[in-house]
Parts: sequence; structure tokens; C-alpha cells
Amino acid sequence: MGQFFYQFFGIGWQGFLDIALNSYILFRLYVLFRGTNVLRVLLAMGVFWALRQVAVSLGLVVTSWAMQGVIAVAALVIIIVFRNEISAVLLTRDLKSFFWGIPRYQRNTPVNIIVESVYELARKKIGALIVLPLNQGLENAVQEGISWQGKLSKEMLVSIFWGDNPVHDGAAIIQGDKITNVGVILPLSKRTDLPSYFGTRHRAAVGLTEQTDSLVIVVSEERGKITLVKDSQVYDINDSRVFEKLLITHAGQDSAAAGVKKHTRELAAAAAICLICVTGLWMSFSRGMETLSTHTVPIEFVKSDQDMEIFSSSTSSVTLLLSGSRPLIRALQPDRITVKLNLANTAPGTRKLSVSRSTVTLPPGIEIKNIEPTMVEVTVDVPVQKRLPIQPLWTGQLSKNLIMTQATTSPETVSVIGPEQVLTHMDTLFTEALSLDDITASSGTMAARIALKPPTLRLEDQEKEAVQVSYIIQNRKAAPL
Amino acid sequence: MKLFSFMRICLLLFLPAAVFFGPHARAQDVLPQGQSGLKQPVLVEAAMCEAIERFKPVNQAVVFSISLGRVFCFTGFDPVPEETTIYHRWYKQDRLISSARLVLNPPKWSSFSTMQLREADKGPWRVEIVDSRNNLMKTLRFSIVD
Repeated sequence: MGQFFYQFFGIGWQGFLDIALNSYILFRLYVLFRGTNVLRVLLAMGVFWALRQVAVSLGLVVTSWAMQGVIAVAALVIIIVFRNEISAVLLTRDLKSFFWGIPRYQRNTPVNIIVESVYELARKKIGALIVLPLNQGLENAVQEGISWQGKLSKEMLVSIFWGDNPVHDGAAIIQGDKITNVGVILPLSKRTDLPSYFGTRHRAAVGLTEQTDSLVIVVSEERGKITLVKDSQVYDINDSRVFEKLLITHAGQDSAAAGVKKHTRELAAAAAICLICVTGLWMSFSRGMETLSTHTVPIEFVKSDQDMEIFSSSTSSVTLLLSGSRPLIRALQPDRITVKLNLANTAPGTRKLSVSRSTVTLPPGIEIKNIEPTMVEVTVDVPVQKRLPIQPLWTGQLSKNLIMTQATTSPETVSVIGPEQVLTHMDTLFTEALSLDDITASSGTMAARIALKPPTLRLEDQEKEAVQVSYIIQNRKAAPL
Repeated sequence: MKLFSFMRICLLLFLPAAVFFGPHARAQDVLPQGQSGLKQPVLVEAAMCEAIERFKPVNQAVVFSISLGRVFCFTGFDPVPEETTIYHRWYKQDRLISSARLVLNPPKWSSFSTMQLREADKGPWRVEIVDSRNNLMKTLRFSIVD
């Protein structure tokens, strides 16, 4: 599998895992911070980072330095200014939603029940404050409250705001199809442009929407009017259809199937962007971090003339100093590196061939820093066969009163195969050294091996490498002159 | 080097055949007469030896000590139909060290060449005896040792 990746993309499986993992992390960050200002600032940081990279590549020292400063400040801004959003994301979600789940808008909020309940409350002039959170948590914006966790129904909602209910003064929070908290105290807005007839409920609704992305419904106790507040904007509700549409839009349920499609498309686009960004980053980092590695690679000789043979080579391998990104170097398989020396058009004899970069094949992304050795001496020739006599190679010293009058080998000749240029100038094969020191007055025989020099030679019959050497020893007749 | 090798070669002898060849003359290796019809000398004796005494090889051998100082290659021809030239080519292993040109006179003739030995000359040697037409008549193999 890793080989497949490597073959087609020049990236090892580690690279793919690295990219996939970080793409998912980035995607999760997007999902968790979607709709908040944190994401916008993060995107701005990404733009600044890209600009810094461009500035660095263009050699704009001051600009790159400034961009780096902006990024650093933006990181601080995110932590300090958006601490509420960050803590809300980190604290309000369970592990599943943190690592895997995709939070939807309030998909299952029974909007019709809310509409009916609110109208019922308005009709009965029962003051009410209902909060429908979106993505941002409320924990840091609201105070107190009592956990309710009751299934939403018209009766339930009306009864919560009934005058004799101890929690009727606070706000009720609806998440999905549940009333999660009641008696919640909301932050009051300090705006001065609000109508004078707005009471504490309205001011609290506006205050919460100033800090969060929630939608708040207010039912006026005195006037029996319904007011909807979203993003600090106040809407007076006179038409139940408009009211319902606004709720549906907030809950993300507008045109059901179309909404799901749009949501899916958005997530898919985000996932693709995350993948592209991380891949780009990975490439940037991996290309930038150069790693050196030494590899010893066997030389492959390519010959076109089938009659030619390689009889010897000064080396059978070369040492390559390679550079590339660490993942590529670590994933580099020895069989992916080849060194091929072409012997086509090479005349018979001993030739020096250059081992250049063009003779080395490497996977993409890997470069050669050094080749050792850069020259290979190779002996190529047409193999010929020649019958040569064998001569004993005597060493040592024969006793002074003895002389060796005859020395023959059996067989006297052998057939040898070797380079034409070598054998043309060769008339004798010698045995390995035979010592005279142990030879006494008697004649005899001894076994000897044929010394094949140069080593490019070989015997036609390999079994005849050993020969018998017979010698005749006589006493010296007279002192030499 | 060649000059030095040449100087090391002592070329000798054009001796009367009657003096040189007696009844003990021994034909070690004899080549047939040339097929071309031209009269060629016949090699009847060839040997490596430690010395030449009274026109005969002394202590024929195939192994010689460097301490001898020199080594001889002796050749005898009978008949020698006409004046001709032969060569003694001295090789150490397969490297030609020197070539001695020897003149033969009718009716029969003996000649020898010699090589002075140095410490570096230890190893396997051969002397090729070739006629004026470069035909190999005989190869003598020997070794120079301690």
C-alpha cells in the first residue's frame, strides 16, 4: 500500500497519514468554531501567514517581519478576546461531539409548539423570556438557572411562565426539543436607544444577543406583544407565519432537504479546503526540511551486444549521498534507487565509465548530493577460448647438490576462457607457488592449483583447476662455471 | 631497459659441427623440414643449462638458483642446409625480455645464448627458439629461484 502511494505520489504512507490526521484536526476546529468570530480571526491569520510566506520568498524582510508580528498578536487576540467562545466550545460539548459529531442547527426544535406556546402566553398576557441558543455556549453569558431537561410542550412552557411558578421571572432555554434550563438570569443591555416601553425582559434579551448568537423571544406581560431579538436586532412579531419563518431560519430548518444539502455541501467544501491547506503545509514543511542519507547501490551494467561480457569491474556498487525531506528519505526503499551504466558502443578492453547523475534513477523529491566513486573501470570484451600450457611456478631453494632436470604437468595444457584482449597476449598459465624447500633427492609428484591471473579468466572445465606436477631430481654432476 | 637486456645477452658460437656433435648428440625436439620446399635447419638439441663446457651443456635443468649469476640456452642443429638465422627469445612470464639473433652455418651448427641474472629475475621463464621465418621450433621452460 505504501509502495502504491509512493509510486504514484512520491509520498510515503506516513505522509498520507500525517496529512489525513491534520486535515481532520483542522476540519474539527472548523466544525467546533463554525459561526463564531474565532473562525474569522483564524482565517485572517491564515491569510497573514500566506502573505508572510510570499514576503519571505520575495525577500521582503520588513514585510515578513511585520506579518509575523501580526500573526503573533492575532494569536493573543484569539485567546484573550474570544476566551468565552473557546471555553464554551471546550466545556459544553462531550467527547463524541468534540472528536466526531457534527453539531447541527436546532434541527429538531418543534417550532410549531414554540409558536403556539408563545401565542398562548401572549394571549394570556403572561410575560415570558425564551432563549434558543445556536452555536455559542451560554455558560459565560448567563447566571444561575435551574436545570430542567423537560420535553418541550405547550403546556410545559406556559406553566413555566405562570405567575405563581417560582421560576417564572427568569428565562427558559430551549435546545432541540427540550427545555434545558429555567429561571436563568440574562445579562442586561446597556443600549440607550431601546424604546421606552421595553422592560427588563427586552433589555435582557438584547443583552444576551449582544454576547451570543442566540435567538430570544420576549412576551410582554403588560402589552401581550411578542418580540424576537436576534443579533441585537429587535423584531416585533405581528404575523405568526413570519414568526415561524424566523424561528425556522434560526433553527436551520428552512426548506428541510435543501437545508441539509446546503449544510452537507458546506461541510464537504470545508473538508476539501482543510485537506488542501494541510497538504500544502505538509509539502512546504517536508520540502523545506532537508535530510541527508547515504546509500550503497549496486551498479547495473546494461549491454546491447550479447557477445560482450563484463570480465571485471573496479567496483560493483557506488555510494550515493542523497538529500530530501525526512519522510521521503525514511520511506526510501533500496530497490527504488538504480544506477545503470550503459555499455552500448563500448569498445572491448578496459574502459572508464562515468557515474553521473544521469545514470542514477531516484524517486521524485530525492536529490543526489554526492557520488562515490564517480568513475568505474570495467573490462568488457568478447570471450574467447584458448588452450594454454601450464608451467610450474617454483619458489624456495633446492639443495645445492641437486638439480631438477625435468618438470611436467598433467595435463600439460588446459582450455581457458577469457577476454580476447587478455588471452591474445597470454601464452602460459602458471601454477600457484610450489616450494622447493621440501624436495629431497627423490623424484616425485605433487598437486598444484592453476593460478588464474587476471581473475577475468576461467577454465573451460572448472574441475581441472588442480593439476599434477611430476619432477625428476638428479645429483649435480659438476660444479658450474 | 632494452639496451640493458641486450647487453645481458651474450651471443656466441658458431662452432664446427664436427667438433660439437658427437655420437651423444641428443635430439630433444625436432621440427620437420619446411613444407615450402626451402631448406630449413633441423633442431636436434635444445636445453637450459648452468654452463657450456667443451661445447656441451652442463647440468641441464628446469630450475636455476639466482646465485648462479647466469643461465644458458643451448641449441644444436643438424643438418644446416644453408646459412640461416635463428632467434632465442627470452620471456619472463609472458613478457619479452630479450631476443638473441644467432647465425647458423652448414653443414651443422650449435649455438647458445645466455642471460645474466639479477634478484628481480626470480620467477618463471621461457625461451622460444624460432627460425628466420618466425616459426616456433621449440619452447624451453624453466624457473629462477633463490
